[in-house]
Amino acid sequence: MPDHHEASVDIMRFPAPDFDVREFARQAAGSHRDKLHLESYRQAPLSADILRILRYMQMVERATMTHLRSVLVTATHKDARITAFLTTWAFEKYWIADALEQIQLAHQPVGTDVDRAPFTTPAERTIRESIVANIVGGPMIAVHMALGTVDQWLTVAAYRCISALAGHAQLSATITTIVSLKERQLEFFEPQARYRLTESKQARRIARRRLAKTPWPIGAKAEPASETRFFFDRLFVPARALVAELDARIDTLPGQSGLSLIRKAARL
Amino acid sequence: MAFDIDNYTSTSTSVAWADLDFDEFKTHPLPEATLRSLRYMCDVEYHTVCYLRDLLVTPSHKEADVSAFMTMWNREEFWHGEALAAVLGAHGVIVDFDELKSSRVKLGWKDRLDPIKQSLLGNIIGKDFIAVHMIWGAANEWSAVAAYNRLADLEKHPVLAELLRRIAKQEARHVAFYATQARERLAKSRKAQVLARFALKNAWGPVGSSIMDPAEVTHVMGHIFSGQEGLREIRKLDEHISRMPGLDGLTIVETSMAKYGVAA
Repeated sequence: MPDHHEASVDIMRFPAPDFDVREFARQAAGSHRDKLHLESYRQAPLSADILRILRYMQMVERATMTHLRSVLVTATHKDARITAFLTTWAFEKYWIADALEQIQLAHQPVGTDVDRAPFTTPAERTIRESIVANIVGGPMIAVHMALGTVDQWLTVAAYRCISALAGHAQLSATITTIVSLKERQLEFFEPQARYRLTESKQARRIARRRLAKTPWPIGAKAEPASETRFFFDRLFVPARALVAELDARIDTLPGQSGLSLIRKAARL
Repeated sequence: MAFDIDNYTSTSTSVAWADLDFDEFKTHPLPEATLRSLRYMCDVEYHTVCYLRDLLVTPSHKEADVSAFMTMWNREEFWHGEALAAVLGAHGVIVDFDELKSSRVKLGWKDRLDPIKQSLLGNIIGKDFIAVHMIWGAANEWSAVAAYNRLADLEKHPVLAELLRRIAKQEARHVAFYATQARERLAKSRKAQVLARFALKNAWGPVGSSIMDPAEVTHVMGHIFSGQEGLREIRKLDEHISRMPGLDGLTIVETSMAKYGVAA
């Protein structure tokens, strides 16, 4: 099979055949506020370290729009199935970030206002991204799907670690919900990534470069480096087997073996 | 009046139509001209994600409230697309994602360059550029509310009218956001006023005109806004816009409708 260029990506009608985007959109999970049982944190507060990591996760989830921006300026935005997915994905992420924020607020004096600080996002990168990605065209979709897949794997693992570390029943219940949403999203990202990477050599090459260059998790740039450091130090450095398992999973993406992304991100 | 973003996000839902009796379309199908207009509206709603992109490359999205709004707004508009697609589907017109894709592909280089242009402008001009997006959004959402309500009145089809009014109600909340933002930002900056005036006067066109075939724009705008009643609606839209700080005297809607041959 020849390697495809932009036009021939059109033939990939159903790279995630079992995933019904319309159904996903219909079942989208909105606000979690009713199920957070915030009073449980008043009785059994989380440690300062866990709160610090939850804040980091919130910021990373909240950076969706920044990530979406770099995705939408490329040919990826033309695929209506993918934009329908991303629309709902962004909506679910918004409410995940909101849940994390509410949990933090439950540790503050009643009436503390939410953080409305502007996000940090370098602008010049978007312009370059737009120019480069539009020259590349269709294969960029594969790259974005691969980025999405790796990020979901990493953040799902992070949430599970947080749950184990905190040992807080209510937090674990909320995290179970968050993880189930992310796993559902993965049912789209992963087959899309695998299929599209298999189809295009150019996509495999660019994805490899991109994955290696990306500061993990996606959205890390929205936070000071010290917070990302803390995230990896607390959750992944003590869990070498998990890091190895995640890297082994990334190795199974077509053309992406040997990257050791998570080990490098955790500085192990 | 301040816009309560928390209230907006927590009450943002996908427009409902499962409770409406779509069998009504079998016994009383919509005329061809209406289906053509609905098709246009459906495409434009689905296309919101592309407008979102143009907004995102500017500093607008860095503000938490704006970002929260855009997340919900983009999803609500997607569902308007789905709802209208369901009406079209009941008439045997299938709107599928692959077809939407090919119409986006057709936009070609203009579409590719847009985010670059927007990004450059937005980042050179900075915060004042957000005001331009906000008044632009307000003008579009005002037009959408007027168009949906007017089509509901014109068609007098019980099921379609109900659905269109539900959609218009959501669009009215979008108006509230955009207009509040625009008013505040324009009032604060003379430069924003000059920019907004320039942009609206020189570049605004009826919603969808930048992506749809001009013949379709003429059909839809003529269908919805022609005649004396239509003209009254058009002038109301211009009134809304020209009441904004520094935008008095603008008649962009009437001017652009005339350009597309919409006659009173």
